Amino acid sequence: MADRSSSGVASKRAYVAAILIIMLFWQVAAWFLPDFLMPDVPTALIRLWEELNSSEFYEGLGNSMTRLGAGYGSALFFGIILGLVGGTLNAVRSTLKAAIIILQSIPSIAWVPLFLILMGFGNLPIIVVVAIGAFFPTALSVMNATESVEKVHISAARVMGASKLQMLKRVYFPAVTPELITGAQLAFGNAWRALISAEMIVGFSAGLGKSLAYSGEIADMTGVMTNILVIAVLAAVIDQVILERIKHRLLRYQYL
Amino acid sequence: MKLNFSQVTKSFGDLNVIKQFDTSIADGEIVALVGPSGCGKSTLLHMLAGLQQPSSGSLTADGDSVAEPSPERTLVFQEHALYPWMTLRDNVSLALEFQDQPRKESLVEAEKWLARVQLSGFEDYYPHQVSGGMRQRCALARAFIARPKVLLLDEPFGALDALTRMTLQSVLKDLIEEERPTVVLVTHDVDEALYLADRVMVFSQRPATVLKEVELGHIPKTHDLSAFADVRREVLNLLGIDTEQHEPKDYQGEMA
Repeated sequence: MADRSSSGVASKRAYVAAILIIMLFWQVAAWFLPDFLMPDVPTALIRLWEELNSSEFYEGLGNSMTRLGAGYGSALFFGIILGLVGGTLNAVRSTLKAAIIILQSIPSIAWVPLFLILMGFGNLPIIVVVAIGAFFPTALSVMNATESVEKVHISAARVMGASKLQMLKRVYFPAVTPELITGAQLAFGNAWRALISAEMIVGFSAGLGKSLAYSGEIADMTGVMTNILVIAVLAAVIDQVILERIKHRLLRYQYL
Repeated sequence: MKLNFSQVTKSFGDLNVIKQFDTSIADGEIVALVGPSGCGKSTLLHMLAGLQQPSSGSLTADGDSVAEPSPERTLVFQEHALYPWMTLRDNVSLALEFQDQPRKESLVEAEKWLARVQLSGFEDYYPHQVSGGMRQRCALARAFIARPKVLLLDEPFGALDALTRMTLQSVLKDLIEEERPTVVLVTHDVDEALYLADRVMVFSQRPATVLKEVELGHIPKTHDLSAFADVRREVLNLLGIDTEQHEPKDYQGEMA
């Protein structure tokens, strides 16, 4: 217990130190470059405060989060199902895995033109691109974990008379949860990158990516840096606070 | 439940593990299978559990062919068969839940069975938080809670230290006396076989053939097995363990 809380404090300290160093580099760059190229940190923070008090900011944030939720959520759902099913079917597993590895190497943003034309200008192509980014790492991690579920755990369930569904719910799913969470965190990084880039390219309705792209177009460097700041902070909060909490909750037994 | 092997052969590819094995186990009988590692006695047990099928010959339980696992014939594994993501209570109750019994009643029943193996107060512990002996107590509770007609034990105490093993053997003996299932025990431990079983079958190296059957009958026994010294010596000799005294033995004089 003592170990863990002290390492938690240490990692928090490391985060604070890292943030300060990044800010410092930014500020040094701002001192050397003219204001219209690189704003000071305080200037960007003031802009951020203004943004936080404007309704447009929340509209963009809401749109982006909705797309992220829909894309990431469905990727997790289908990734877990495909991973569990694929991992238990010996006949198709290797082929399926190879297919995932090939498709995974395509940057998600490369799908944008295809889906824009297939689905038309709107939310859907962005959501699908986000989902593609998150789906492969989820499916792959679940499939690998399913494959390596301990034989004795499966045999034990069989002799206790478990049905296929019970086996999936009570044995396979909890057994793969640790790897699933690692995969889901990786998938979140992909989803986030895909979301911002797709929004920058597609530019459909308000959103974090669109707002960043727009600031660039009108050469508003304070806006650019503010948007980057928002994107960075949100990603860190979702990953380090929300996903970590869920991880500790689901894997509670490992931390006792 | 009466178990019957008739001309059972099992091979894995070219490897002949069991060759035309015949035996009959009466309802309520306690049979121990002892023999060298890899002689195929565990395979016999897994076939009884329905986890593996004979390559040829027939295996029946009360006249019905054993084709798949059934909670009537439960198997206790050596170790690590408890689910690490569940508390001891959930691990035990799962055996009933897999038979579609309501969760609430299953949990109550699980607590009763944990009490019967002296694990009251540890219901909310996870397997990794308790000792190996306690884990096997829990495994016994999980096996007995479903009131199996046949109890199959695959070196259940093989990973425990000698003292814990003897305690667990007593716990198991009491449970068997109260519940009276048909028992097939696979073990390396000759004393364990003599202490628990009504009949001991000694196996040769692969392919498994019976070198000797010792009929002890269902008689009260304690861990003091001095009454069975001759049988014990004979079984050990069959397993290639020397029980004769050899030179030099003058250290006995020094000790006196």
